[in-house]
Amino acid sequence: MNINVLVVDDEKPLREFVRRNLEVRGYKVACAANGLEALAIFQNEPVQLVIMDIMMPHMDGLEATRRIRDESHVPIIILTAMGEETDKVRAFDLGADDYLTKPFGVGELLGRIKAVLRRADWAGTVSGGGRIVRGEVEVDIEKHQVRVRGEAVELTPTEFNLLVYLMKNAGKTLHHRAILQHVWGPEYSHEAEYLRVYMGRLRQKIESNPLKPVYLHTEHGVGYRFEG
Amino acid sequence: MRRWLAFHRDLGLQLFALYLLLIVPFLVTLWAFDGLIGVRIRRDVQASNLALAQSISQEVNLAIAKALNTVAGLSTYEGVIKADEAAMGEIFNLVLATSPEVNLVYRLGPNGIMLYHAPTGPGSTVGVDFSFRDYFQAALLTDQPLVSLGRISPTTNQAVATAVMPLWSDDGVFLGLIGANIRLESLSQTLTAVISEHQIEEGLQVVILDAANQIIAYPDPQYLLHPAQDIIPEGYLVNFNGENDSQIASAPQGEERLYTRASIPNIHWQVIVSRPTAAAFATQIILRRIVLVAAGTFILIGLFFWGMLTVRVIHPIERLVPISEAIGLNQPISPPDQRYLFTESKRSDQIGNLIQSIIGMRDSIQERIREQATLLETSTAVVSSLDTETVLNRILEQMGRLLQIKMYAVIALDETNGSFRIRASRGLSKQFTEQLSIQPSEPDSVTMRALHVHEPVQVSDTETDPSYAIRKHRARLEGFRAVLAVPLNTKHAPPTALLVFHPTPHIFTANEIQLLTSFANHAAMAIEHAVLFERSDMRLREQTQRLEALVESLHDGLILTDLHGKIIYANKRIGELAELDIKNLSGMHADQILARIIEKASDPPARHKPPHNLLKTGGESKMEITCTLQNQTVHLRLEVFSVNDEQGTPIGHGILFHDITADWELDRVRSSLVSTVSHELRTPLAAIKGYVSTMLADDVEWDHASQREFLTIISDETDRLTSLVNNLLDLSRIEAGSLKLSMEKCNTETVIRNAAKEARLSPQNIFKVSIAPKAAALYADRLRLESILRNLIENSVKYAGETATIKVEVERSAGEIVFRVKDNGPGIPLKEKEHVFERFYRVDEGLTRPTSGAGLGLTICQGLVTAHGGRIWVEPQLEGACIAFTIPVKSRTATSAVRRTRSNEHQRSGRGRRKAPA
Repeated sequence: MNINVLVVDDEKPLREFVRRNLEVRGYKVACAANGLEALAIFQNEPVQLVIMDIMMPHMDGLEATRRIRDESHVPIIILTAMGEETDKVRAFDLGADDYLTKPFGVGELLGRIKAVLRRADWAGTVSGGGRIVRGEVEVDIEKHQVRVRGEAVELTPTEFNLLVYLMKNAGKTLHHRAILQHVWGPEYSHEAEYLRVYMGRLRQKIESNPLKPVYLHTEHGVGYRFEG
Repeated sequence: MRRWLAFHRDLGLQLFALYLLLIVPFLVTLWAFDGLIGVRIRRDVQASNLALAQSISQEVNLAIAKALNTVAGLSTYEGVIKADEAAMGEIFNLVLATSPEVNLVYRLGPNGIMLYHAPTGPGSTVGVDFSFRDYFQAALLTDQPLVSLGRISPTTNQAVATAVMPLWSDDGVFLGLIGANIRLESLSQTLTAVISEHQIEEGLQVVILDAANQIIAYPDPQYLLHPAQDIIPEGYLVNFNGENDSQIASAPQGEERLYTRASIPNIHWQVIVSRPTAAAFATQIILRRIVLVAAGTFILIGLFFWGMLTVRVIHPIERLVPISEAIGLNQPISPPDQRYLFTESKRSDQIGNLIQSIIGMRDSIQERIREQATLLETSTAVVSSLDTETVLNRILEQMGRLLQIKMYAVIALDETNGSFRIRASRGLSKQFTEQLSIQPSEPDSVTMRALHVHEPVQVSDTETDPSYAIRKHRARLEGFRAVLAVPLNTKHAPPTALLVFHPTPHIFTANEIQLLTSFANHAAMAIEHAVLFERSDMRLREQTQRLEALVESLHDGLILTDLHGKIIYANKRIGELAELDIKNLSGMHADQILARIIEKASDPPARHKPPHNLLKTGGESKMEITCTLQNQTVHLRLEVFSVNDEQGTPIGHGILFHDITADWELDRVRSSLVSTVSHELRTPLAAIKGYVSTMLADDVEWDHASQREFLTIISDETDRLTSLVNNLLDLSRIEAGSLKLSMEKCNTETVIRNAAKEARLSPQNIFKVSIAPKAAALYADRLRLESILRNLIENSVKYAGETATIKVEVERSAGEIVFRVKDNGPGIPLKEKEHVFERFYRVDEGLTRPTSGAGLGLTICQGLVTAHGGRIWVEPQLEGACIAFTIPVKSRTATSAVRRTRSNEHQRSGRGRRKAPA
């Protein structure tokens, strides 16, 4: 296992705690005390996972996340001391894949890291191959390519997995929990927030008018359905 | 026509009906009586006529029967039967001798030849054939005696009727007949005798007719054997049927008569008695005349009475009705009507009295109307103006017109000098009006008396009235002899009275006093109105001013509009919000203002309801907008409410722009506090939990050194947590003003070193301390001073980084110790310098999220420094940041210093708010 992890936190004890735990479990860890340092490291070293605090001097975690997301699909886990809904949503909006609320234990940390890495592995979750075409949405599962109305659309692995899962079950209403368990993993079955944010992002990328979706329909209180 | 039908409305008709009611029964009775009497008289006359006729008929019947018996007797004689002349002569003469009415007895042979007659006389008709005679023809058919019709006997040349007895032999051979001529003259003589028994004026006429209606007997012999038609109406004759009857008919001579007849049964003769009706019914006629005369008289009297009644009573009354109506309605009376009233009023009877009283009534109505009109004008005058002087003058003018008085005045208490002075007057000299001054203490004064008893008081002669003795002179000068004072019923205005003067001794009548009282009441009303208005006006003005000042000084904007949204009022604040001159606002539409203000909203206005909807929803509605005014962010809450009048009917809208910037700020601070505190607490907790879970993890076995390292970190973080909690407690104490410092003498260097130890300097940090000799020791709360320094050093580490150089410098200046914490980091941006100490303010909020502990740390520092009576500020630096604070050398009144600071803070924040939206 040769995974490089970038840990960004202005609090040295916490940074050290993450580093020590990951190193002892075979990850390669780079540390940064703020966003600017993190970006510098990200640009110079291969990184497979970023763990980032939000509140930091000079450049905070959200800004750093946004900038990393501009260049890469690398999975990002956000650390927050707030635990507030708005922060989560903002983090997801900026492209974070997961988050952890302080304080958290080693078990939680490792679990999230594993789940995020699993989702980031394209072939790991999407079984089978070939193409799925539903309406104007074309998905090439082998190549991880998505075309909508003839144009290529960039999706993160999680977004891609979510879309493929919905398209494979087109016409069926899928329950929140089923989608979460299938796309994110069993431990995420209650994180409806994730699903909502990702559905929003998928609509932004696929629907011509996200306010009046044609493909991705919401069944209030139940789940979602792909129509094509 | 309608008037005739309207019986109940017409007195004449009613009287006429009454008259008829009296007269008609009387006339009817009279007529009925007349009828009854007439019938009775007629019956009487008829009865007496019939009795007379019957008695005559009986008499004639007897005579005829006697003649018939005679001829029947003669027929039994042998000689007669055998027509022996000698025997016949003997017997016939015997008959002639005994029956004076018989003038000839004769014997006809079977062929009608005269065989013999007695007396024989010169004109003998023996041998003459009389078979043509009616009686001979009748005798051939009977064996009974019969009477012939009346005729002239050729033998005697006299009018006769013959009693005939046919002679038949035993074997039935007709032998001829015996006749005895009855002299009709003798019957007439009987009638003459009967008539002579009656009075000549009765005009009694009696006639006997035979079966052929020849006159058999009549007082005038000329008519004998004439047809009855000569004296009896033919119509009456034709009706004869053998019965007795009675009829009025006109005689051939033209006279109307009552005819009555009785028949003579066996020989079909009839006796007719007649009288002229004039005589017969004389009584009845007289009676009828009386009736007619009476009826006529009544009618005439009635007509006369009617005429008199109409002319004298009904007509005047009818004429008076419209006149009195006109008077009642105060309409003019036409000249003929006036002349009529004038002439008729001279009548001495009741009608005359009535007209006089109507005229009196007219005059008094006109008088009243004039009074009322004047009073009405006075009332109008009272309400026409609120200026007391004007109203009083108008009232006095009206009064003069109505009462024909020349001198009068209104006198009132002048509150400035406490005496009664004239306020308005007519016909009085200037000197008098200006100089008259009555003291309330003068009990004899008419004015004072009237005001005291609340009733009009008069002095009918100033010369003789003892109470006026001392003022006599004044009265003489002014030229009045009588005074009347009428008090005015004032409640709010000072006591006032109406004064009326009369040039001659005069007793004011009840009517005059009443009128003047009316005027006084009006005047009182006017004065009261004016006083009350003045008061309420003043009060209203004060209130309005107060209200306006209040509304103007409101920090909130207020717009009042009419129902269509047109602005009626807007306060100064609206002008500021809309950036318009307040003078241009009124008349504009509220939507324009709303649109102008919402335009400045920093969030897109599309998110709000369009402003005109806000007004149209009618009911209460609210919305919040955030806008930027002169580089200040202002939060406004718009409240639209409807403005209702007392009855609850909407009369307009109100729009309140409630400035909620302060609330907003407070909210922001509060939520910021919560998240900051949460963050501050979570940060050490995260480290603690992290290391604890690291040690507990099953999959990794940590060596002893690592475990020890982790436990040290846990311990450090726990200390940090504790100190954080203490800081928070201090902060809340500072907020509540209850922070108590435990002052002690501290060594400056020790304090700094302790603080640095806890401030988590990284090994790469260069930490320098420089302390001026005079500042080696100070008097302070040691733990809190350490807290201040630790926070500042921590802050420097955070912002300047783990390799930064951090310097703490201490010096003494003018009674205080100055601490400076410097670093060589990026420094504090100039524009943030003022705000870093504001609670939970964090540099560059927006892009960079609050740095751990920064906000709270500096806030705590500021609180603790001011609690010591010192100051804290950002010191300008060429490079890096420098925060400086002072601690007074002798800090005595620590808590009061805190209080002062707090109040300063409030002032500052208050000022800040007020400044912000301006």
